[in-house]
Amino acid sequence: MTLCHPLLEVLGLTKSFGEIKAATDVSLEVWPGEVHALVGENGAGKSTLLKMIYGVYHPDAGQLVFDGHEAVVASPSDARRLGIGMVFQDLRLVPALTVAENIALAIPGGVRLRLGALRARIDEASERFGLAVDSRAWVGHLSIGERQRVEILKVLMTGARLVILDEPTSVLAPQEVEALFRVVEHLRSQDFGVVIVTHKLDEVRTIADRATVLRGGRAVLSNIVPSQHSDAELVEAMVGRSVADLQRPPARTSEPNGAAPALELAGIECASDGGHLALKAIKLAVRSGELVGIAGVAGSGQRELCEVALGLRRPRAGTVRINGTQVRSAAAALAAGAASVPEDPVADAVVSRLDVTGHMILNGRPLPARRLGIDWRKVRETTADADQRLGLRMAAPHRRVSELSGGNIQRVVLTRELSLDATLVVAAYPSRGLDIANVRRTQEILLERRDAGAGVLVVSEDLDELMGLADRILVMHDGAISGEVLPAAFDRQSIGSLMTGGAA
Amino acid sequence: MTAVVADPEAEQTPAPLLSRALPVVMRWVGTLAVALVVFSVLLLLKGASPVTAYTGIWESTFLRSRSLQEIVVQMTPLVLGALAVAVPARAGLTNVGGEGQIIMGGVGACGAFLFVGETAAPGLLLVAMLVSAMVAGAVWAGIAAAMRLVAGVNEAISTLLLNFVALDVLLFLIYQPWRESPVGQPATVELVDAAKLPFVAATRINVGIVLALVLAVVVYLALSRTRWGYKISVAGGNAEAARRAGLNVRLLVLSALMIGGALAGIAGMIQFAGVEYKLRPSFGYQLGYTSFLACWLARHQPFPILVAAFVFAALSVSGDSLQLDAGVPAASIHVLTAFILIAVLGFTASRRKAAA
Repeated sequence: MTLCHPLLEVLGLTKSFGEIKAATDVSLEVWPGEVHALVGENGAGKSTLLKMIYGVYHPDAGQLVFDGHEAVVASPSDARRLGIGMVFQDLRLVPALTVAENIALAIPGGVRLRLGALRARIDEASERFGLAVDSRAWVGHLSIGERQRVEILKVLMTGARLVILDEPTSVLAPQEVEALFRVVEHLRSQDFGVVIVTHKLDEVRTIADRATVLRGGRAVLSNIVPSQHSDAELVEAMVGRSVADLQRPPARTSEPNGAAPALELAGIECASDGGHLALKAIKLAVRSGELVGIAGVAGSGQRELCEVALGLRRPRAGTVRINGTQVRSAAAALAAGAASVPEDPVADAVVSRLDVTGHMILNGRPLPARRLGIDWRKVRETTADADQRLGLRMAAPHRRVSELSGGNIQRVVLTRELSLDATLVVAAYPSRGLDIANVRRTQEILLERRDAGAGVLVVSEDLDELMGLADRILVMHDGAISGEVLPAAFDRQSIGSLMTGGAA
Repeated sequence: MTAVVADPEAEQTPAPLLSRALPVVMRWVGTLAVALVVFSVLLLLKGASPVTAYTGIWESTFLRSRSLQEIVVQMTPLVLGALAVAVPARAGLTNVGGEGQIIMGGVGACGAFLFVGETAAPGLLLVAMLVSAMVAGAVWAGIAAAMRLVAGVNEAISTLLLNFVALDVLLFLIYQPWRESPVGQPATVELVDAAKLPFVAATRINVGIVLALVLAVVVYLALSRTRWGYKISVAGGNAEAARRAGLNVRLLVLSALMIGGALAGIAGMIQFAGVEYKLRPSFGYQLGYTSFLACWLARHQPFPILVAAFVFAALSVSGDSLQLDAGVPAASIHVLTAFILIAVLGFTASRRKAAA
């Protein structure tokens, strides 16, 4: 099927909200069988552009041409009728229903629900697109990655020819990203058009045939072929300036005689929530002024390790000491000077009905008191001060967290925890959901904490990040530490081999 | 950002009271209007004129001093019972046990009266009854809290079931040890005058309403202005985040539910020492459940609870005039109450949808 015109042409779309120009004269095109990456930092206008394509917003100027015809997309149902399907970042499935029932909700049909016939169609389509979706499974039992594939299937079965994926990888573990990309390749080979939003360059290089870079509502680069541009060029296009390589001066861990390490785990055995042994004979120490990285395939015990270190999970055996003090509870760990960035901040670190200011004192330190109440004036001052010092540009202090996106919530949690004068920082996936400029700033702050004398433990799946940050990398495999790698010996191959249980 | 640094107050100043209150008032008016219109249809079907019925209700309920006083008397335990739901709700807990906690409050007050008797100075006797009622209510709610903390029993279920246990405790006491006389209706001995709550000025309103109003303000301040209030709203909003921030979530759950129980206990004491003067099998009947609905209508906010309690009390008082003026049974007022609740449900649902 060769066509002489693109599947979708976006011509000069412009949209402002009051004073704010969210999109200015944006143009791009997507051909059948093309994967088009839409990249840009937070607030670059990606969402606005997608919402105009999908009919949620109406452009002030410009037009859409779909399949060679000028298209007026007044609503999402118009978009779906044309063949434009969207998979949102927050998946919109009903957990209490099965896959087939969820898809039945989206497909127009008669009054009678013929689930049997629908299931057959689902299985057939799932096979054809390589989605591996079980039509009988309860959605509530599926992982995020599987739910995402159900969404994609739903979009395809409603007749989409252009599939838009809004930051699909921001919620996925690495293996799930690989599975998603295999699906995208299937779609490409069957002449679908795919638009994928991301701010990770390696993903652009892996999956995209062409890319459009947005910054400040403008398309800085349109319809480029990624392999013809260097990383530095793309980063500069996204961020608006060149981002220098991270500078990591060597750690100064000159410990006075007899000083205890910031964190010391000895002989830790610990069960996971499911009851199997998640940590086996873990022995590790993080010295003050040292940044230790933890590498490993997801689910190798990183979560349990962080929770044990923070007194949140009681080990079956072994001891945890923070600055020499034995820790048996979260309160004790916090009192000993711990700060933490949890793996899943939305579930574990924020309260949706509180505003940003209300979150800044949820850090385990004594609440600033004013008679029986809280000294909110002081909290606001320290909040403004922390925001300025750290430079992660949190959302406004009065905003409720329920209104914020994942990346914005991460910045609130990072600002709260990394502005503390902590002696131990445990950060799990600190750069999750952040754009390039904020990732870099977060890494700088972690090193600043280290240089201020804190022991820093960073868990990450991104080996490049760990190799750039860590004074030492410990590799976890199946609940045990399978090796230690020093900067001189940092190399992806040997770390990767340790991650899967081999020798370095 | 710089603007915030320069003037931290400006960012935080809430909108003026009027513009905040107006949508709320509109919601209430709209809800009531819908319910009244639907109820009119019912009245018409019964051959009664809605206009006569409503003017009758209006005149006999709101234009007569005695009715107004009766409304205030009836709203008092509802205010406290609703506050008893609102405090645990802030900690994410559902207290359906107002009914039982009110009964236990009455039992506690009666026990203190029988135990201390007329030996105490009059003022001291009332204080002893009040404290005893608070403790009894708090312990009763504390049982549900303990069951949740020890065995993970959902407190909505346990508080509800404890209502039936409380009723059995009451019945046992008034049929056996505390029964005034072996003949006639089972009841405790009537309170002596020193153990009755005094009236406000020259009315039939007991001073319980003053206590209820003061406690509404206290609860409001405790929830919104204290460190404890902040902590329970964190624990109620996201228990895992609270745990990770080192808060003692178990203690917060226990304290919120027990304070709720104590408030319901006070309601029981006021109903006992201000209205009924004796424990009978029907003591405090339906007060807890009505309070639960009032709290819900007020979205668990202390000051709207005053309005909701007033509305429920007014509906109850107007039931009698409905019977006299429109010739429909007094119980029809429950139908109107139900319509109001359903209308509230509808308004709440549409608001959520708009927010999503």
